[in-house]
Amino acid sequence: MPVISLGYEDLEELVGVSKEEILTKIPMLGADIERVEEDHVDVEFFPNRPDLYSAEGVARALRGFLSIEEGARYYSVKESKIDLTVKDAVLPIRPHIASAVVKGIKFSGALIESLMNLQEHLHRGLGRDRRKISIGVHDLSKIEPPFTYTAVSPDFSFVPLDLDEEMTMHEILTRHPKGVKYRKILEDFDLYPIIFDAKDRVVSFPPIINAELTRVTEKTEDLFIDVTGTEPIVFKALNIVVSSLAERGGEIYSVRIDRGSKEARIVSPDLSYEEMDIELSEFRSLIGEDLTQSNVIESLRKMRYDADLKTEDKVRVKIPPYRVDILHPWDIIEDVAIGYGYENIRPEFPKTLTMGSPHKMEVFSSKIREVMIGLCFFEVITFTLTNEEKEFDWMRRINGKKEEIVTVNNPISTEHTMMRRTILPNLIELLSFNKHRDLPQRIFEIGDVILNGKTTESLAAVSIHSDAEFSEVRSYIDALFREMKMEAKIKNSTDPAFLEGRSGDIYVNKRKIGVFGEMHPEVVWNFKLEYPIVAMEINLEYFL
Amino acid sequence: MKNLTLNEAKTLKALLSGENSGEKIPEYLAKKVGIKVEALMQAAYLLEEKNLVDIDERVEEEYEPTEEGERYAKEGLPERNIHDFVVSKGGEVYLSDLREEFSGIINIGFGWLRRKNWVDCKSKICKLENQRFSNETDKKGGDFLVIALKAPIGRDEEILKELTKTRKNPPMLDKSTLKLLKGRKLLNIHDKKYIKIKLAEDGEEVARGIKVEDYEEITKITPEMIRERSWIGKRFRGYDAEVLSKEIYPAKKHPYRRIIEEIRDISLRMGFVEIKGEIIQSSFWDFDALFQPQDHPARDMQDTFYLNSESKLPERYVKEVKEMHIHGGKIDSSGWGGGWSEEVARRNVLRTHTTALTIRYLAEHPDPPVKAFCIGRVYRRESIDATHLPEFEQLEGVIMDKDVSFKDLLGYLKAFYKEMGFEEIRFRPGYFPYTEPSVEPDVYVDGLGWVELGGAGVFRKEVTEPFGINYPVLAWGLGVSRLAMLKLGLRDLRELYRPDIDWLRKSPLFGDF
Repeated sequence: MPVISLGYEDLEELVGVSKEEILTKIPMLGADIERVEEDHVDVEFFPNRPDLYSAEGVARALRGFLSIEEGARYYSVKESKIDLTVKDAVLPIRPHIASAVVKGIKFSGALIESLMNLQEHLHRGLGRDRRKISIGVHDLSKIEPPFTYTAVSPDFSFVPLDLDEEMTMHEILTRHPKGVKYRKILEDFDLYPIIFDAKDRVVSFPPIINAELTRVTEKTEDLFIDVTGTEPIVFKALNIVVSSLAERGGEIYSVRIDRGSKEARIVSPDLSYEEMDIELSEFRSLIGEDLTQSNVIESLRKMRYDADLKTEDKVRVKIPPYRVDILHPWDIIEDVAIGYGYENIRPEFPKTLTMGSPHKMEVFSSKIREVMIGLCFFEVITFTLTNEEKEFDWMRRINGKKEEIVTVNNPISTEHTMMRRTILPNLIELLSFNKHRDLPQRIFEIGDVILNGKTTESLAAVSIHSDAEFSEVRSYIDALFREMKMEAKIKNSTDPAFLEGRSGDIYVNKRKIGVFGEMHPEVVWNFKLEYPIVAMEINLEYFL
Repeated sequence: MKNLTLNEAKTLKALLSGENSGEKIPEYLAKKVGIKVEALMQAAYLLEEKNLVDIDERVEEEYEPTEEGERYAKEGLPERNIHDFVVSKGGEVYLSDLREEFSGIINIGFGWLRRKNWVDCKSKICKLENQRFSNETDKKGGDFLVIALKAPIGRDEEILKELTKTRKNPPMLDKSTLKLLKGRKLLNIHDKKYIKIKLAEDGEEVARGIKVEDYEEITKITPEMIRERSWIGKRFRGYDAEVLSKEIYPAKKHPYRRIIEEIRDISLRMGFVEIKGEIIQSSFWDFDALFQPQDHPARDMQDTFYLNSESKLPERYVKEVKEMHIHGGKIDSSGWGGGWSEEVARRNVLRTHTTALTIRYLAEHPDPPVKAFCIGRVYRRESIDATHLPEFEQLEGVIMDKDVSFKDLLGYLKAFYKEMGFEEIRFRPGYFPYTEPSVEPDVYVDGLGWVELGGAGVFRKEVTEPFGINYPVLAWGLGVSRLAMLKLGLRDLRELYRPDIDWLRKSPLFGDF
C-alpha cells in the first residue's frame, strides 16, 4: 500500500491547523500512520483512495473532516483551444488518452518532487505499474499545439529524458533504465505509442518516458499533461492530478480530444460532479445507527461531497470528480459513517442466536493429541511448504517424486517449493535444530498435508535417544489404536525411509494408512543427526 | 537415643571397639562400619552436632619431592656431581672437560657451585675454591701438598634424601631449606588434613548402650516388606526434602495450539460453527468470488503462490460473478469495467485467506442465520523474516442474518477481544476489497500502545449478490500468529514454527495468557 510522506510545515499551511491535531485525525479518516519523524510523517493510505496520494489531496480531505471547509470543491476549467488528435494506429495498443493544461503554477523544487511522487503512486496503484495508466507532465512553453497521439515504428528516434543524444524507441527499451523497467508492457506490439507536437517534435513515448525537450524545471509555469492507458480510468487519474495542482493555485484549461470520425470529440478534463442517490433507510440498516437527514448531509459534506435531500428517504449525493472508489451506494454510506465518526457508533452485540459446533476433525484430532501427550510427546507445529530434497532425497524416498506433487510456480526460496505430502521430514529437521538439547526428545504434529491435490490431516511422531528401537514405536502404535478402539493390521514395510525388518505398514480394513519403525541410519545421517530415531506417520482422514 | 541413623549408631560402636579406645582415624572406622569414608564422615559430623563425638582436625603441610627432586635424591644434586668430579681430578679441570662430562646439567650446576662457593671458573679453568685445600706439607718434598677435599653434605641434600624415603614432615626440617628446595622446583608442598575421631564424654555412655539392630533403616520399600509387614519397628532412611531433584517436564501442547484453542473455544461459546477446507483454491474462490478485480495487485505473482494446476469453475455462479465484475450485475454498482477472464479465474493458488472458504460456505448455506468460523493456514508470497512468513494461521468469522448491521459487527468484535483479554478497543476506518464499510480494530496493550489486530467489515453487495446471499454478512479476520506473538511475548514469528524444544519444555501451562 502506498506510503505518503507529508511535511508538517506544508501540511499545516495547507490545512490550517497544528500538526498534533492532524496526527490525531488522520487515522480516523482512514489511514495507518507508519512513522512520525521530526519534520514529516509517513502515512499509509488505502489503495482505493488515490486522491489522497498528495499533500494537497490529504489537506483537502482533512479540511472537510475537521469542519474547516465542508462540502464539494468545484474546479473551473477554462477553454484553451488546444487540440489533440488520436490516430487509429495507437488504438490497438493504448487506446485511451486524457489531457489538460494547467497554467500559472509557481514551481519550487519541493513542488516538482511532490508532483512526481503523486505521479509515481498513481502509476503503481491505480496504473498497475503503468500498464493501465501512465502520466506525462510537460513544460508547455517548449512545445506547440496541436498534438497528435499515434503509434510509430520502434526505429523512430528522439532524445529521451535524462539523455542528450537521440535513441531509437527500440534502443530506449533495451538500454534506458525506464525502458528496461517497463518494456514488458509493449512486448506484444510492433508499433509504439507516441505524442507529437505541431512541429512533429516528440513530446512523450507513453508509457515509458517523456522527451528531454519537455522537462519541467523551476522556471516552468504552464503544464501540458497527458494520461494514456488501456481503460477510461485515465480521465479519473487526470482529475486527481489537475485538482491537486489547482489546490496549489494552478488554473485548469481544457484540451479537445479528437478521436476520429466515428467518435464524438471529447473535452478533457471533465471535472463535473457525478450524482448518486443513497437511502437513509439503507444507511440505517447497514450501519445500524439512527442518523437524521441533517446528520447524514453534514457527514457527507465533511467528506467533501455535496448532498441534498431529494425525498424523505433519499439523499442525492454529488461525487467529487477525483474519487475513483465509488462503485455503489454502500461506498458513500461508508463515508457517511466515517464522517460521522466510527468512534460515535455504539457497538451492539448481535442478537443472532445459534448453537456453536466444532468441526468433527478437530474433535477427533484433539483426542489423538491427548493420547500423544499422554505418551510423553511434545506437540509442534511446522511449515507445510517444503522442498523435494527434504521430502524425498533425504528420506530415501526417491520414488515419491514420480507421484503427483503440488509444486509452486513462483516459490520465494529454495526451501519452500512444494506442498508437503508427509510431516515426518519436518519433525526430523526440527530435531536437527535441537541437537544441543537434552535427549530423549519426543515430538509430534497433527497437521495438513496435500495428497493428490487434496488437503488431508496427518499425524506424525518421532522419538530420538540412544536406546530408541523398534519395540518402543510398536508400543505407541498399539496404544494409539487401543485408545481409538480400532483394529490395525501390521505388515512388514518396505518404506526406504525406515530399516527393513524394523518397520511396519499399518492397514485398517485393507487400506494402508500409515507406517512406523526405526528410521534408516542414512536418513538420520542425512539430517545431520547422530542418535537412533523411531518414527510413525498416520493419515487421519480415513477415520472420519 | 532414638534420633541416630544406622551409620551413626555403627560409628559409635566402632569407636568403642579395639585398642586405643575412643580415638580412631576415619579410614579405619569406615572399614569397620563397612561404608565409604565420605559417608562415615557425614555420620561423624552429625554425631559431633549431637555432642557424642569430638572430631580433631589438623592440617599439616606435606612435602613431596618432584620427579626431578626424586632423581637428584638418588643421583645427587648437579653441583654435587660436578664438584665431586673436580675433586677427583685433583681440584682443577678444564671447563671444556666439564662441559663434555656434564652436558645435561652443567648450566644448573654452575649456578649452584658458585652460590655454594664450591668451584670457581676463571677463563677456561675451573678450580675448587681455596679454602677447600689442605695445608699439610708433602712429607717427601717439603712443599705444601695441595689435596682436594670434599665439601660436606649440605642440609638440602639431607632433607631431599629423607623426604624421598618418608614423604612426610620429618622433624629435622628447617623452613629456609624447604623454601630453597621448593624454589628449585624439587619439592611440592600440599596441605594434608589429619582427622581423628573420638568419643565425647556423653558419647561413650551412649555407645555402650546402643544395639545396632535397633537402628536398621529401610531405604527401598519392597513388596515383600509390605506383604510381610517386616517394616514394623524399623526406621526409614530420610531424604532432605529441600534438595532439588533432576528436572523433568510434562509433555504438553504447543503454546501456539493453546492460543488457537482459546480462540476456537471463544468462537464456539459465541455460537459459531467451525468449518475447514482445501488449501488449494481456484483464483475464482480466492479472489473473483470476493470481487477482487483480476488486475488487482494482490493477485500478482509477486504476492500469491500460483500452482501448475487449474480448477473447474462452479457453473452455477460463473456468469453472475463475471457480470458483477464487468458492469455490476443486477445491482446498482458500476463493477470494475474491462474484461473478465475465466482462464484467469481457473488458475489454482495456495489460499491467501480463509475467506475463500467462508464465501463458499455462505454460498452453500444461503438461509439465515449463519454463524461460521475457520482457523486455517494461509499463504502469502513473503520472504521470511522476524515478522513475515510465507504461511501462517488466520481466523475468519462470519455472521449472516436478517437485520444485522455494522454496529453489530463492532459489538461482536468488542465482545470477542474482551474474551481474549483485551479490555480496550477502538475502531478505525479500514479498506478491504470485499467489504464496505470496513474497519480496523486496534486493541490497547500495555507497553505497546494501540496495536492493530485484524480487519473486519460488511461483505459488499457485489460479493454476496452473485451467490444469492440476500442478507448482510458481517465478516472479520485475524492473523492468529500475530496474536500469538503478542500473547507469548515473542519477537520472532519463526519461533512458533521452528521451536526450540527447551522452550516447549519450559514454557509453563499457566501464565501465558
